[in-house]
Amino acid sequence: MTTNSKDMRKTWEKIADYFRAHSIWMKWYCTGCGAIEMPPTMTSRFDMEQLGMGPMATPRQADVLLITGYLSAKTLRRVIYSYEQMQDPKYVVGFGSCTLNGGIYFDSYATMTRLDHYLPVDLYIAGCMPRPEAIMNAFDTLIKMIEKGEAKGWRHYQENHDWYRKNQLHSLKEVYVKDEFHE
Amino acid sequence: MKEVKLFLGPQHPGMHGNYSAHMYVEGDMINKSYALPGMLHRGFEKLMERRHWMGNLALIPRICVIEPDPNEMVYAMSIEKLAGIEVPERAHWIRMIILELARLAANLMAIGGIGAPVGLYTSVYWGVADRDLVLDIFEKITGARVYHMYIVPGGVRKDLPEGIEEEILGLLDYIEARLPEFYDLVMRSPIFQTRTRDNILLPEEVVWELGVTGIGMRSAVNKEYDIRKVKPYARYDQVAFSLPYGPYSDAFTRVDFKYVEMAQSISIIRQSIEKMPKEGPVRARIATGSALRWRVPPGMVYSCVESARGEYGYLVVSDGREMPYRIAVRGSSYPQGLLGVEKYLPGHRIDDASLWMDTMGVCAPEIDR
Amino acid sequence: MNSMNKLVEELKGRFTLLEVLLPDQQQLIVDIDQMHLHALLSHLKATGFRQLSLLTAVDWIEENTFQLVYIVFNWDTGIHVLVRTKLPRDKAVFRTITGIYPGAQYYERDVHEFFGVAFEGNVMSFKPLFLELWDELPPMRKDFDPEAYSREKFPERPYVPQFVPKVEVVE
Repeated sequence: MTTNSKDMRKTWEKIADYFRAHSIWMKWYCTGCGAIEMPPTMTSRFDMEQLGMGPMATPRQADVLLITGYLSAKTLRRVIYSYEQMQDPKYVVGFGSCTLNGGIYFDSYATMTRLDHYLPVDLYIAGCMPRPEAIMNAFDTLIKMIEKGEAKGWRHYQENHDWYRKNQLHSLKEVYVKDEFHE
Repeated sequence: MKEVKLFLGPQHPGMHGNYSAHMYVEGDMINKSYALPGMLHRGFEKLMERRHWMGNLALIPRICVIEPDPNEMVYAMSIEKLAGIEVPERAHWIRMIILELARLAANLMAIGGIGAPVGLYTSVYWGVADRDLVLDIFEKITGARVYHMYIVPGGVRKDLPEGIEEEILGLLDYIEARLPEFYDLVMRSPIFQTRTRDNILLPEEVVWELGVTGIGMRSAVNKEYDIRKVKPYARYDQVAFSLPYGPYSDAFTRVDFKYVEMAQSISIIRQSIEKMPKEGPVRARIATGSALRWRVPPGMVYSCVESARGEYGYLVVSDGREMPYRIAVRGSSYPQGLLGVEKYLPGHRIDDASLWMDTMGVCAPEIDR
Repeated sequence: MNSMNKLVEELKGRFTLLEVLLPDQQQLIVDIDQMHLHALLSHLKATGFRQLSLLTAVDWIEENTFQLVYIVFNWDTGIHVLVRTKLPRDKAVFRTITGIYPGAQYYERDVHEFFGVAFEGNVMSFKPLFLELWDELPPMRKDFDPEAYSREKFPERPYVPQFVPKVEVVE
């Protein structure tokens, strides 16, 4: 087997990607209102598990980070924090118009308007809010992308870390999450 | 033993939404705790001042995700009071059907969701699957699953589709038949009983101190304190329903009351379908010309409805221009979600913290706005 | 309606009210000056208005005042009373009501964060609640422009009309 010019992966990476694509742990973090369509997707009606996906409570064991809807500045700090805890390879899916261009909150002082400025997004789902069918379709696409080695956002984040960090600091001033909030 | 700092949330499966509680624990007892809201803050109150009265219709349901319809209802009620709009009779009944279906969906989600903090995951699957059937009805009526934008100032957006009454009645029969199964699965489960009986008490003084409303209040003060009874809106004064109330409020009672209220919602929807006028207008004309140029007479009014978690209200201020001057939102779980977490979550065990959030009915998006 | 008339008469007899409005059959709006607000709220609480439903503020920038609105509710009669008072905008300081309604603690913190009204006696109210690392004007003030803030802080996606299909015009 030889690597062609487009697909630069080594053979073992192709095999690894095949297995990665078919057992995905989704990080269970409801960042916004799109999370209300996650329970129907996860449970018996639409049943995400038929794609080999399951929810995972901790960031360190998860593969996919779902940004379900709008992101306020306060959430974005925590999201970056958890994204950087996740192990490579990791994928980000942006839900709904809010992550694309701010959506209905385009002029809000609290929510950011563009997710790929801060985190590498592999896939966007349009709509407000995306229906469970759309979410299932997106997961299917994501699986195909991982299998073909097209979901390389995590590598982009590593290579362009300075650019991402600059954007994050511009919008948030500090990425560090303080725990001495009330004292 | 050493006191340890612990975060519950925002990224925690036991937390309801993007919300956080900062706790000091010793062993597994919580000594001090503070709520950390604001992760879902979108600045709604500011955004609503920047949209036209009609444009706000798209914004308001998004304030509370679990139960968006009370938002539409209070907004419509406030504008109708300010502008003196008379709502057609049929629209009142359609609104009631929508509101009760929404309450049913929220309660199904709550009864199902209570399974997660106690470790009874079957109920999550059941509750969410049955709630989806209600969402299907919503989709047929309004075109959307979650955010309907159906109740508008002056009535409802459009009439009910033909034959939907039979479908709603069929769904109600199905859910009514499922209720005993839910009772057997959740209420009579030994896990659930052990975790909730005589746990997480809510005494009457605490209700008055915090300002808790809804099921928490009714289960503690032994009176039928419900906005639908105390100051009826729509046509709630013309249907017969009785709500559960009692003097002793523990986690079990509060979940049990949700269960009883589901049967009441079903009864209200049945009566509404029977009593509502079969035809007639559903939307009063509110303006001549473009709806975007529509102005509301100046004034200030507070209107409230009973959501699944208690009194939900808007304070609407108009200065006679094309946009609202100020809209303030009273989220029904604001008191228990902030002051309640600070004062009354300490003294419980860590594993009861998410049960506390669940049975007190803390809903993050309406607190953060 | 009867209990409403009685309430209005009683309040008029006891307090000097600046204005009384009835927007609705079960709702009463009462304007009072700052000095007597606490007395009025204590009286209301003692006469059945046991719940504080909402505390909020309105920014009347043209009059240069903040209007504080306290909404109290009587569950037995179903009457909401909106007690309003005005504060000068450049000296927005008021006294806390947590001694009367303990539930007001977080509402006051909320109003302080979004309007910059300071509540003396409520120590917690000076801390941030919903916003983190906020460095601008309090956001609910009318002279704060959220769109300009959003433009500056959160860069927008440039609009590229690449999704518009090219249509060849046949003549």
